[in-house]
Amino acid sequence: MENKSKAKELKDDFWKSKKLLVTTGKIADDIQGDSSESKGPTLKPSVTDLREWDMKLLKRYTPFYAPFCDMCCLCTYGKCDLTGGKKGACGIDIEAQQARIVLLACCIGSAAHGGHARHLLEYLIAEKGEDFPIDMGTNIDIEAPIMRVVIGKKPRNLGDLKEALDYLEEQMVHLLSACHTGQEGKSIDFESKALHAGLMDDLGKEIGDLAQIAALSMPKGEDAPLVELGLGTINQEKPVILCIGHNVAPGASIIDYLEDHGLDDDVEVCGICCAAIDITRYKPGAKVIGPLSKQLKFIRSGVADVVVVDEQCVRTDVLEEARKNKAAVIATTDKICLGLPDLTGVNTDKIVKKLVNDEIEGALILDPDKVGEVSTRVARQIAEERKSLKKLPDLQEIQEMAKECTECGWCVRVCPNNQPMMEAVTGAAEGDFSKFIELYKYDVCYTCGRCEQECEVNLPLISMLTKVGEHYVKDEKFNIRAGRGPVQDVEIRRVGAPIVLGDIPGVIAFVGCSNYPEGGEDVAKMAEEFLERNYIVVTSGCGAMSVGEYRDGDGKTLYEKYSGDFDAKGLVNVGSCVSNAHIPGACIKIANIFAKKPLEGNFEEIADYILNRVGACGVAWGAYSQKAAAIATGVNRWGIPVVVGPHGTKYRRLFLGRADKPENWKINDLRTGEVVQGEPAPEHLLYAAENREEATVMIAKLCIRQTDTPKGRQIKLNHYLDLHKKYFGILPEDVYKFVRNEKDIPITYKKEVINILEEVGWEPRALPQEPSLMKFREEKASDKGDSK
Amino acid sequence: MNERVIPWQPTVIAGPKQALLVTPETAEMMIVKAKRPLIVVGPLINDNPAQVLVSKIAEKWNIPIVSTGDAFKSLTEAGVPSKSYGLVEIVNLLKDPEWKGVSGEGNHDLVLFIGVIYYMGSQGLSTLKHFAPHVKTLTLCKFFHSNADASFPNMKDEEWLKYLEMLAKVD
Repeated sequence: MENKSKAKELKDDFWKSKKLLVTTGKIADDIQGDSSESKGPTLKPSVTDLREWDMKLLKRYTPFYAPFCDMCCLCTYGKCDLTGGKKGACGIDIEAQQARIVLLACCIGSAAHGGHARHLLEYLIAEKGEDFPIDMGTNIDIEAPIMRVVIGKKPRNLGDLKEALDYLEEQMVHLLSACHTGQEGKSIDFESKALHAGLMDDLGKEIGDLAQIAALSMPKGEDAPLVELGLGTINQEKPVILCIGHNVAPGASIIDYLEDHGLDDDVEVCGICCAAIDITRYKPGAKVIGPLSKQLKFIRSGVADVVVVDEQCVRTDVLEEARKNKAAVIATTDKICLGLPDLTGVNTDKIVKKLVNDEIEGALILDPDKVGEVSTRVARQIAEERKSLKKLPDLQEIQEMAKECTECGWCVRVCPNNQPMMEAVTGAAEGDFSKFIELYKYDVCYTCGRCEQECEVNLPLISMLTKVGEHYVKDEKFNIRAGRGPVQDVEIRRVGAPIVLGDIPGVIAFVGCSNYPEGGEDVAKMAEEFLERNYIVVTSGCGAMSVGEYRDGDGKTLYEKYSGDFDAKGLVNVGSCVSNAHIPGACIKIANIFAKKPLEGNFEEIADYILNRVGACGVAWGAYSQKAAAIATGVNRWGIPVVVGPHGTKYRRLFLGRADKPENWKINDLRTGEVVQGEPAPEHLLYAAENREEATVMIAKLCIRQTDTPKGRQIKLNHYLDLHKKYFGILPEDVYKFVRNEKDIPITYKKEVINILEEVGWEPRALPQEPSLMKFREEKASDKGDSK
Repeated sequence: MNERVIPWQPTVIAGPKQALLVTPETAEMMIVKAKRPLIVVGPLINDNPAQVLVSKIAEKWNIPIVSTGDAFKSLTEAGVPSKSYGLVEIVNLLKDPEWKGVSGEGNHDLVLFIGVIYYMGSQGLSTLKHFAPHVKTLTLCKFFHSNADASFPNMKDEEWLKYLEMLAKVD
């Protein structure tokens, strides 16, 4: 509440004033909502307020474009052919068009998280009230690091989150409008806007996760329990409700309904994708089927009696697929209505009756509480009748189907990864199901279903794969640590210094979807490699589930083997997609807690600190969605590099550094006021690797930072050299670029490294004390003077 | 449409500009004409007979090899020298006309690709198609690459290896 009053004249013994404007309420709010830190220059930054920072990043990490399409088909002037330097009818060139599509993707991704946060917040406020406190417990003071930096306020209750969401929505309108024909014209400015969309994505995720953690009592950074994962965890004798998507509200209401009616043990509640993770954060008794790659397989298996979909990453043909085996479908948000009748206002008994009697294919119910009751009652009533649909067909039946194959080979050609589906089918025709099993395990085939669309004899290839897989591996059970949410401040106090100095060689976050080139095992193997090497490994979303589906040589999952602490050798599952906000959040906390950088309105200084000092690297090995584009772009703006898998090149843009150009790595030493020669660390900001081996080596390299102490640099280089030797057979040629003086050389490789240094005529160089992309104080002062 | 010139993954078709279908003879003419050719070898031909044939092609015309992914190790074990880059790194360098090339003598004017993951290779070829008019691209895979300037057709292994043998054959 803000009140303003103007006094024409004010006189007393202490001061005199005229035309004094007195504002009350707002100041009080600010004091209440603020720490005592001074505010930085970019509170609620507009689309252009952080442009200067973006340009610094983009100068060093130049956008690399790989057009997916040679044309623009966004307006009716087109299609326009943009090859050979040709411009479109509106004047746009191929670079700007790629950047425009990147911005569009980031806007879509960010809007998905922002919309999700809005849904959640409105629902939770309706349930709990605006005054419901955001209490993150005694170990977390900085409950919303992104919001503190961007909005400049400490949210104390659910209602306080609305201001941040309002700001985000305003920014999103401006960003999306820049994609319109005849708006932005330069690729570099499209990129700056994409980075802003990424920042809005970070903010939206933080709002969403904070709201659900606070209001639904999800873990607040403390150690979370192990929860069951895998198809084998489902008791098919019970009615089964499957939740797909990202919004926890419908799933939570199902769990509440079961508890309230003493039915917890009578019905199985499970999830696919982030909805799975979040329902287990709400109640660990729920079960995780697995990542996105399980979706079509599990629906086709017929195990689920009721399929509840909410938002994001749900197959758009879910209704058609579920109906093939008479499962009931309930859509629960405005994002996915599936052409179903809106029965939100209809009496529950009537909805149940219609669904049980198969009068309707499914229902749109926009009231989560009603979803809880309807889905439970329907599942319990139709489960018995559906039991026959859950039975596995005889393998002989599959063998007979396989004999129909004409060996045209198109199933392989249209597969995103050219996996050998035809070989699997021809093998099955001979009674050899081994290739099908190989495709089934670790979701090497992630069941997109394109092969079926192409098959000239209409073989139900995914159903065949599903059934073969179930015969051999249906009882497999794994586990995953339930998402713990944020990293606690106390943990940052413990690891801030070792991360910045390099004693902990890096923080590596495996995030994102399951568009893996060779199955989810690659993600788990990368995680294992870095856990064994003392890195902190963070997981979220589908990546977290893929890590859980792997057992080491001792038969343990990595979640069983490693603790959930944010510390060296810790395997930290932060949670779902929205929980990704805690990853840049932890880096921001390092800048604040360890280095005392003020948060409020201080984006550039914080991001500059993270870029130059915090050895963190994101890995989105199976990134496929627009959300993943926004997530990567968002953390890039904070100075965190990201490695994506080979499909990541289809995002059309990477941010690559040029290590061969020393002039690109000059850096300001703010302590000495000198421009000094820095090193290519991190070398790239967004990099696509061709396979796991290449990615593993690159991830280790991207954890190197300018401020590593000699001991820290030795540790980091040791891992980089070790991994390079393991996967490439020799030491990396570019090691000399990361040796500042002889103290940096790892003891194990001293002789070999010195040989390389001598070969290239290496000279030692001074370490910058305060490396920064920011301007020197005098330059800033001069700029201010110019603007007056 | 001739199945041999439908891109191996059909949906990588980007627009009106398509690669020229080439035989080993045409490929040879392109190599002969080039001043500074380069071969980029990806991990799909690790431990494949094609690897030996590629090394013979490189030897025949004295063409330097860049390996991508983890192909370096496999090539080294096969006795084939190469310089290791990430695929996106080498493409990024190639698109810079000022880059001095792997031998430091100037950027390359013809790049032969083989063994790179198909869709990723297609993206890299797209980059060069649009942003590197100074570089011609030729793909020696058994898959037709529409984003290249010139490409072998879709082939089965046997025919493909014959194509490579013809190109590697010392006159």
